[in-house]
Amino acid sequence: MKRRLVFLSRICLHSIWMLFLSMLAFSQSRTITGKVVEAGGQSPLPGVTVQVKGATIGTQTRIDGSYSLNVPGGSVTLVFTFVGYKTTEMPVGSSNTVNVSLTADVTALKDVVVVGYGTQKKQEVTSAITSIEPTDFRQSGARNALDLIQGKVAGLQITRTGGSNPNTSPAIQLRGVTSLTGSMSPLIVIDGIPGGNLDLLQQDDIASISVLKDGSAAAIYGTQANGGVIIVTTKKGTKGPARVTYNNYFRKEYKARLPKFLTADEYAAKIADGEINATDKGYRTDFVDLLVNHNNLTQNHNLAISGGGEQSNYRASVYYLNQEGILKANERQQYGGRLSITSKGLNDRLTSQFNLATNFNKANLLTDGGNLQGYYTFNPTYSPYNPDGSWYFEQTSTNELARLHQQTDIRQQQTTSGDARVSLDVAKGLKASIFGSVTRDSYLEGGYADLLSELSVENYDSTGYAFQSTFLNVRYAVEPTLEYNITVNKNHNFTAIGGYSYRYEVEQYFDANNYGFVNDIFQENNLGAGNMLLTGKAGMSSYKNDNKLIAFFGRINYNYKDKYMASVILRHEGSSRFGANNKWGNFPALSVGWNMRDEPFMQDVTFLDDLKLRAGYGVTGNSGINNYSSLVTMGTGGNYINPDGVWRQTYGPNKNPNPNLKWEKKSEYNIGVDFSFFKGRITGAVDVYKRVTKDLLENVTTQLPPFVTNSIYANVGQVSSKGVEITLSGSPVRTRDFSWNIDMAFSNSKNTLDRYSNELYTIKYQSYADIGGYGALGNAIRTYEGDRIGNFYGKRFAGLTDSGDWLFYKADGTKAPADQLDSEKDFAVIGNAVPKVYLSFTNTFKYKNFDLRAFFRGKFGYNILNTMEMFYGSKASLPSNVLKTAFTKNGKITGGYQYSDYYIEKGNFMKLDELTLGYTVPFKSKKTFQSMRLYVTASNLWLITKYTGNDPDYVRDTGLKPGVDALNASDDRTPYMGTRGFMFGLNVGF
Amino acid sequence: MKRFKKIAVYTSLALLPVLANSCTNLDEKAYDTLLTNNFYNNKNEVVSAVLRPYTHANAWITPGQSGWWRLSELSGDQLAWPQKGRHGYDNGQWIRLHYHTWTVDESTVLNCWNLLWTGLGFCNDAIGNIEGRDAAKMGLTQVEKDGFTGELRLLRAFHYLRLMDIYGNIPIVTTVGEPVSPETKPRAEVFSFIEKEIKDNIDKSPNLSKALLGRMSKAGGYAMLAELYLNAEKWSGTARWDDCIAACDALINNTAGGMNGALALDTNLTDTYKPSNDLSKEIIFSIAYDYIISNFSPQWPGDFYHFNQGQINGNPINGNDGVVVIPGVYTTFEDADKRKKEWLLIGPQWKYGSADTIPVICSGGNEYDGKQLVFVDNIRKNAQGSTVSDMTQGEENSGVRFNKYRLGPLTDPNYRSCDWAVYRLSWIYFVKAEAIMRKNGGVATQEAVDLVNTIKKRAYSAADWPAHAYTTTTLTMDELLAELGREFIFEGYRRQELIRFGKYTTNTWWDHKPSEAYRELFPIPRTQLQLNANLKQNDGYPN
Repeated sequence: MKRRLVFLSRICLHSIWMLFLSMLAFSQSRTITGKVVEAGGQSPLPGVTVQVKGATIGTQTRIDGSYSLNVPGGSVTLVFTFVGYKTTEMPVGSSNTVNVSLTADVTALKDVVVVGYGTQKKQEVTSAITSIEPTDFRQSGARNALDLIQGKVAGLQITRTGGSNPNTSPAIQLRGVTSLTGSMSPLIVIDGIPGGNLDLLQQDDIASISVLKDGSAAAIYGTQANGGVIIVTTKKGTKGPARVTYNNYFRKEYKARLPKFLTADEYAAKIADGEINATDKGYRTDFVDLLVNHNNLTQNHNLAISGGGEQSNYRASVYYLNQEGILKANERQQYGGRLSITSKGLNDRLTSQFNLATNFNKANLLTDGGNLQGYYTFNPTYSPYNPDGSWYFEQTSTNELARLHQQTDIRQQQTTSGDARVSLDVAKGLKASIFGSVTRDSYLEGGYADLLSELSVENYDSTGYAFQSTFLNVRYAVEPTLEYNITVNKNHNFTAIGGYSYRYEVEQYFDANNYGFVNDIFQENNLGAGNMLLTGKAGMSSYKNDNKLIAFFGRINYNYKDKYMASVILRHEGSSRFGANNKWGNFPALSVGWNMRDEPFMQDVTFLDDLKLRAGYGVTGNSGINNYSSLVTMGTGGNYINPDGVWRQTYGPNKNPNPNLKWEKKSEYNIGVDFSFFKGRITGAVDVYKRVTKDLLENVTTQLPPFVTNSIYANVGQVSSKGVEITLSGSPVRTRDFSWNIDMAFSNSKNTLDRYSNELYTIKYQSYADIGGYGALGNAIRTYEGDRIGNFYGKRFAGLTDSGDWLFYKADGTKAPADQLDSEKDFAVIGNAVPKVYLSFTNTFKYKNFDLRAFFRGKFGYNILNTMEMFYGSKASLPSNVLKTAFTKNGKITGGYQYSDYYIEKGNFMKLDELTLGYTVPFKSKKTFQSMRLYVTASNLWLITKYTGNDPDYVRDTGLKPGVDALNASDDRTPYMGTRGFMFGLNVGF
Repeated sequence: MKRFKKIAVYTSLALLPVLANSCTNLDEKAYDTLLTNNFYNNKNEVVSAVLRPYTHANAWITPGQSGWWRLSELSGDQLAWPQKGRHGYDNGQWIRLHYHTWTVDESTVLNCWNLLWTGLGFCNDAIGNIEGRDAAKMGLTQVEKDGFTGELRLLRAFHYLRLMDIYGNIPIVTTVGEPVSPETKPRAEVFSFIEKEIKDNIDKSPNLSKALLGRMSKAGGYAMLAELYLNAEKWSGTARWDDCIAACDALINNTAGGMNGALALDTNLTDTYKPSNDLSKEIIFSIAYDYIISNFSPQWPGDFYHFNQGQINGNPINGNDGVVVIPGVYTTFEDADKRKKEWLLIGPQWKYGSADTIPVICSGGNEYDGKQLVFVDNIRKNAQGSTVSDMTQGEENSGVRFNKYRLGPLTDPNYRSCDWAVYRLSWIYFVKAEAIMRKNGGVATQEAVDLVNTIKKRAYSAADWPAHAYTTTTLTMDELLAELGREFIFEGYRRQELIRFGKYTTNTWWDHKPSEAYRELFPIPRTQLQLNANLKQNDGYPN
């Protein structure tokens, strides 16, 4: 049936062509027939456009690849064009039969790559850049634009530490840690806006995402490029009549991989047989399930219209996205739009482009997953209600269900960006442009706790609690540039760009809170009505800070016959954040490329389509530190009583001065090769890099005395990383009806902390990743100079005493209880939390109009600290509810909480991250519908791992405090519930 | 083509000034932060800097953070922070304090060092800035300026006194940042420096008065001298009993002012510790709190209070279930001693105001979850029927608890505002008594007995008192140490006392065994030794 539909639609289309052609046919014409096949495979190619060169006569090939075309008399040339294949011209001789075989064109689709301040032809690129197109996007309903490329770019780690919580952003890190205290995330550039806001990006508006991985490409962004640069280009209008597209999806999420606590019945049975010393209150409650939003449904709608004429084009889109998390009171509703207009004037010499994007969102922040721990561990024979139906409260725990009913926390945010670029072709090859942008991000957040809520009853004398806060961040950028393009002696092509960049960012915040309300009517809408303004217990605070970034930059690209390429970059940049003695820095880069395919000696290597060697070196910096870091300030010290009996704020110095504060600088070597074999059947790239970041900023301990505080923010450290990244694509099967493609991304890296010391200050090691929770177990990670980042450092399990107490190894090999161990001598490296290998691969199958995609993603060679097991896999936690393992695997342990290698597990996993089945509806007539695709996607469908804690995919693997399973919210961890999602989507074009 | 060139030239010319002018200015403007180089311009700013070390002293002199108090009490024979089930192991730091097995990397020792020296830095910074500026330019009279610097120098001496108490040999630094690596001075030299600083400034400092609530004054100066001379034999090698008695007399004879009229003993066991203890007549120097007006409230509930303690007190303040009274200490209080009931908490606990009818129920998933909170005078796992008693064997209800200072119920107009007394007149009585006895070869005189009895008598009913009054025979040195323990329990002086009586490293208490003699001093934190080559580690500790 489907097949017939296709056939009919082709016939229909064909007839239109024929009708069109017959009107133009000349009387002395002759009819040419022939067949178009794929080069190599000899399979027929239907739908190939066959045209007479220089005329409007043409046709399309039939299902079997054959065509017939009336051509005018005399010598004519036929042009065969087909998407994905090289355009081929064929002169028509005396024969009336012209058979053609078309060669696949592997570079045709992706021949332009977006680089900093411009674009480059892919074959001219000399540094490590990965560009991802929408067809390759990860498709599971992105909560953040970068979710779209998770696992798709070798060397770029995108980790959803907050799981599927719609209100969290992923942790992003490129090629390892590059800073200790400064920003580690890549710079996001959206249509030229540096530091673009990801909230403004909707999946359906993105045309490409380009990742500048190495320093030789990123140096053009100078001091914000240490973490790499991600350049996002949005879709623009193209010439032609108005086209309308509508995309939607609906998603539902289900619980996945919950920790196995005792059920209420099991718990009660253990009370009954004396294993648990607690009171059975007679209820049987699945507390955690009470927090789950079983009716969750996420929906996304995006409507876009685009078109244009000779002088201008436009694209406008609007969207509505309502995301509901797996947990109750965890939602994000957003809508907005994006508008893009491009127009030409002054005889096409003046080009103007304007973009406007806005996002309104309303987030329910009451739940962030931090409420799970309390309910996992709550005695399940209790009820959230008292016998009289009122909420059950006790001082040392929170009734999370009651909290959801009695409290609110809503953030209403609006983000808008506007940018304009005006370019003038001043002379041949010379173009002057000016770019300006504003991004404004603001929110109003408010929340209220009812008079009878637990928060109010236990802390605010049952008088309610209300707060509001406002936030405003505005970023401005102005960047004039001059571009010059010249070809000398035919073969020497130079492209140069020079510019100036001025950026200013200012941020303001205000919040106020009050309690002492007489009823719940006002909520947070009449803060002044609370009593506590009179008593001084109402709270109020605000801040404002700003910073400036100014740069001069330039780049020259040289290209000789598309064979030899070179690129030179220099950026001279200054930031207000640095010390008076070191405001400015220089960031140079050099890269070269060699297209070997075009060398005469390679001509005989027939299986080779393309082979390019690249090498680059670049220096970048990091200015992502706090504002005013180098200034000496007075800090508040709390109120104290003045001689006049009034309590006033006290002030004392809170920082040690460092006028020499300067840039963290990264220098990076990258060598790469791009290749394509067997007519595009195998393509890929291999990159090898080594990067060293020096002058890392860290709060180092100073001599105390004589200083007032014991730390100074200084340039002391050095980190380095080296690694290999491989991207491979292959097409094992490529026939007319069926194709199979494999895309693979692999990366392996080693990230070490080389040094913490400089000539003034010495630090032996730094500790990270506060474990939090009961017993103050301290930091899980300690990194000595020269160590790999993410080393777990702690006690080594040596068995249990007869009574079940812990024994650990001392340095001399003897066993001892925990308090006899010296953390400096007896502790050891007991694991590492940074995966050595990241691997992902996509299998795409296409059969006629069906497509099936399976995306696998995994991390290997690392450890995770199973905090859930450490805290709740032990009888020491009784009578809190505990994991079943407390009575099985760990049944003998009676000692209190101890952090040791007993709880360090291998984190290795591979998961079926996305499975999509799609169907493209073939239309007979394209009068109303241009295209339609339906698909279903399952995300996080299947996980293979030996790790026994939560889903290892959600465990932080970036930064300096990785590897601690998020049980509590200590140290910026974001616990959430594992989920599996199912999605249905529709894309329609009119 | 010609026209293009023109445009090119004009465009370049237009762009040039843009690039060359003000667009390279990276000066910073602070909107919400005070910069140090623009401060001390008026009296309010000066006062705010003078008072900064006091709010900071809250951190190190009162329980609640690892400062002078925790090192002094948790290493002594009265208080400990045992592990209680899954709570309170805290990297073994409390256990090592109790067993005297702390290391040179001990965070409690480092934290105390940092807190004290930072407080001292606040003093140095303010002294340097105020002394270096013209009084008029700060909006002060010369008298006010001298008063502030005199007070700050006394307060700085106080920091040195307590640093010397803990670490013994320390550097002497009077200017912020100079020298960068100051050298260790022997304890005797530090002693002399402190003595001179107090003597030089005591008369420049104002008399104690209500306006100096929570501040260092001339009275505080004498109390410091009393402490200095009382410990002089240990600290400087030379006994100074007469100087000690003279300093005590200056206070007992009321020559340095008082906070509420003349300095005098409070007449009962509660006035010194109640929420409105700013009305106490005997407090000489305190850290002042006022939660109601200023939100500045005591930090010690964190160390002392059980997770459900608020219900006992009629307020929402709970703690970390940390510090408890070591088993056996409770019974050193006689039953007739009203301090036993008034200052300590034992047995079943009841909700505030319920007249012992509504029990306080434990919650939070610990040993006695769902059951009544009952504090016991032992540290062992009673829920499991265990009789093993040591620092790791506690439960949530283990140990007799602190009940000396009171926050008051929510309804109290002075709720959470009780000041923490650093020096009080009762202690001066004991100091004088001890000095007299030591001067007398460790034998009590009638004067010493009278001084001690004056204080002790407050704890007994008129009927009970005659049977419990000391005589020159019963007030032995050991008995004095025991009575010091009872009267000043929780107040931070136990380590000093045990050292003065030669018991700190030689005695056994509960599961604590005698330690090495060098443990009388804490080590200089290794972190600082590594940064400053001029620091010298105390004897007995590795570098």
